[in-house]
Amino acid sequence: MNAAAAALGLFVGQKATDATALVPDLVLADAEPEADAAALIALADWCARFSPAVALDPPDGLFLDITGLAHLWGGEAALAADLTARLARNSLPVRTVVAPTPGAAWALARFGPHGTILNPEDAAARLSPLPAAALRLAPEDAAQIARLGLATVGALGAQPRDQLVRRFGAGVVLRLDQALGRRREALTFRRPPTPWFARLAFAEPISTPEDLARAARDIADRLCARLEAEGRGGRRFDLAFHRLDGVILRQSVGLALPGRDAVAVARLMIPRLDTLDPGFGIEAVTLAAAGVEVLSARQVRLDESRDIAPEEGIAPLVDRLVNRLGDDAVWRAEPHASHDPERAVRRRPPLSPPSVAAPGGWDPERPRPLRLFRRPEPIEAVAPVPDDPPVFFRWRGAGHRVRRAEGPERLAEEWWRRSFEEAGPGRVRDYYRVEDEAGGRFWLFRDGLYAAADPPRWWLHGLFG
Amino acid sequence: MSRAARLEAVRARVAVLEAGGAPARGVLSFGDVRLDGAFPAGGLPLGCWHAVGGEGLEIETAAAPGAFAAALAAPLAGRGAVVWVMRRGDLYAPGLAGLGFPADRLIQVQVRDEAQALAALEDALGAAGIAAAIGEVGSVDLTAGRRLQLACERRGATGFVIHRRPFGAGTGAAAAAPGAAAATRWIVGAAPSGPGFHAPGLGPPGLGPPRWRVELTRCRSGRPGAWILEKTDGAHPLRVVAELGDRQLETPQPLRRAG
Repeated sequence: MNAAAAALGLFVGQKATDATALVPDLVLADAEPEADAAALIALADWCARFSPAVALDPPDGLFLDITGLAHLWGGEAALAADLTARLARNSLPVRTVVAPTPGAAWALARFGPHGTILNPEDAAARLSPLPAAALRLAPEDAAQIARLGLATVGALGAQPRDQLVRRFGAGVVLRLDQALGRRREALTFRRPPTPWFARLAFAEPISTPEDLARAARDIADRLCARLEAEGRGGRRFDLAFHRLDGVILRQSVGLALPGRDAVAVARLMIPRLDTLDPGFGIEAVTLAAAGVEVLSARQVRLDESRDIAPEEGIAPLVDRLVNRLGDDAVWRAEPHASHDPERAVRRRPPLSPPSVAAPGGWDPERPRPLRLFRRPEPIEAVAPVPDDPPVFFRWRGAGHRVRRAEGPERLAEEWWRRSFEEAGPGRVRDYYRVEDEAGGRFWLFRDGLYAAADPPRWWLHGLFG
Repeated sequence: MSRAARLEAVRARVAVLEAGGAPARGVLSFGDVRLDGAFPAGGLPLGCWHAVGGEGLEIETAAAPGAFAAALAAPLAGRGAVVWVMRRGDLYAPGLAGLGFPADRLIQVQVRDEAQALAALEDALGAAGIAAAIGEVGSVDLTAGRRLQLACERRGATGFVIHRRPFGAGTGAAAAAPGAAAATRWIVGAAPSGPGFHAPGLGPPGLGPPRWRVELTRCRSGRPGAWILEKTDGAHPLRVVAELGDRQLETPQPLRRAG
């Protein structure tokens, strides 16, 4: 329902037929609760430019915790005015209230004058003329209170508390106390407020890549200075550009080791800013650090290039590569206890500590090729039956006469990884290491057990080099 | 300044110029004068990059060149981490471990195209804590090679560029893989190994330690040559089995094509 409809005397909850009877040329639209909820979440994200702590109050409310933030705008009134003006520019009707408690803010936003700035001293006085429904009561409690003639918050507050509790349970008194600040209320913020948060707003929207890069550098400087001062380092830095039209452009960079080097963080972020579309301009930028850990101060070495701990030296490189190529493109191979050649190697992040699961490493008695094909390639082989290595084979159109050979090494499929029916004695591979006359060394296998009926199939799985 | 001292200073400057403008970063000695003698400083120069190529199918599979580069880089892994940049993820760590290469010191990087490969290689070579970087790329032009060399000189890392073409890209004229800015250029192929374990009457004999036919086609202020080298477990990574006098006569080219 928009403002024009309200001016014609329509109200929420009215039947559609009644409304069309009153206003014959009324435009009706179906309610879309899901779309409304999604829009509310988007709005909450947008509000992160004002405060990192935004709580949803479905279906149509938002709580912003602006404790300690108002001075950034020059006062609570200026903050509220800025928020209202920005939303009004996007044709979002809004009622903004600044109050010492969430309960009071809720009450005033719905039943009080728009734009109220409530001081803690006169909270009780300003709340008492409001209707009792302003206390976020359960519907049946509200109906009962109205029937008792307790029309206003003030009238309700004047009643003896024990009577209220006896009649309505603790809920009504709790809401009353919360609104008046006698009891604290915990809000569920949409994103857990991270103390490692920095924000830069611009007087004029910025859009050129150079400006974006400079903004990224500045905000990284700011946050990293705080991390440095408190002896912490972050593992992930989430950069968000808030565009004029409300779209939020996000960029995250991860570090292999916790860090707080503003130059390094900015250097990881800046190359990826080219992909962002600043649209009509960026009005604010925020940076949050996640995975913040204690990081002791490092002594600056005088001879910088000498004697760097390997992890310390490699970490920036790993960060650069991971951020440029992707998380799964940089790894360290680690042994894994498995007979399956493909599964004998696990990929681990390069700087992760070695896992305890597979100590020792690969068995040196079982030679493995340097190049392992993802899919074994079929070869034509001539081999004496039943268990001898091939004497001749043909791979990619070229013949190879086997001069030396070792094997077989029988590898069976890991039957416990499959269902019982699929497992069988046929799923074995006899691997041979062979060398041809030119010295090429190959890793071949024969599929299945020898059976006289069907000719065995041979595959090339890797090259030793 | 005396005349002798001035002469000495000029000699030192000439030596620096001959080394490509970079201060000497030490050498990797093979412990055999037949191989070490090919290099001006008595061993494979470190702090620069080396091109390793193959012939025939090896240009696609890069198995023997890869093994040779791993054997050369293995002694360097004690000084820092080693980075291996590749486009195809078919490098198999247990096989590296079998060549005596400490796979836990290896960071593998998979890239999507040539430009990324060269950029990642250059980045790795210039980074602190990296002793060596191995990259599999199709070709390195003069500019890219010069950039790699500058990256090597920053901290003294040693680079190995394995010339490898994507599968199916054709093998014509690939032996002439450019590497003009490289300190050395090698052509590596497999060579028949020595006798391994052999139980009489039970099929063919087993395989000995891997051998490679290694040809040094280019070496700055050095002397090209060709050798048969064998992997050893000793202090030096490779052992000279034989020195090949004339490559054209010694190389079994038709057989190689078949192999």
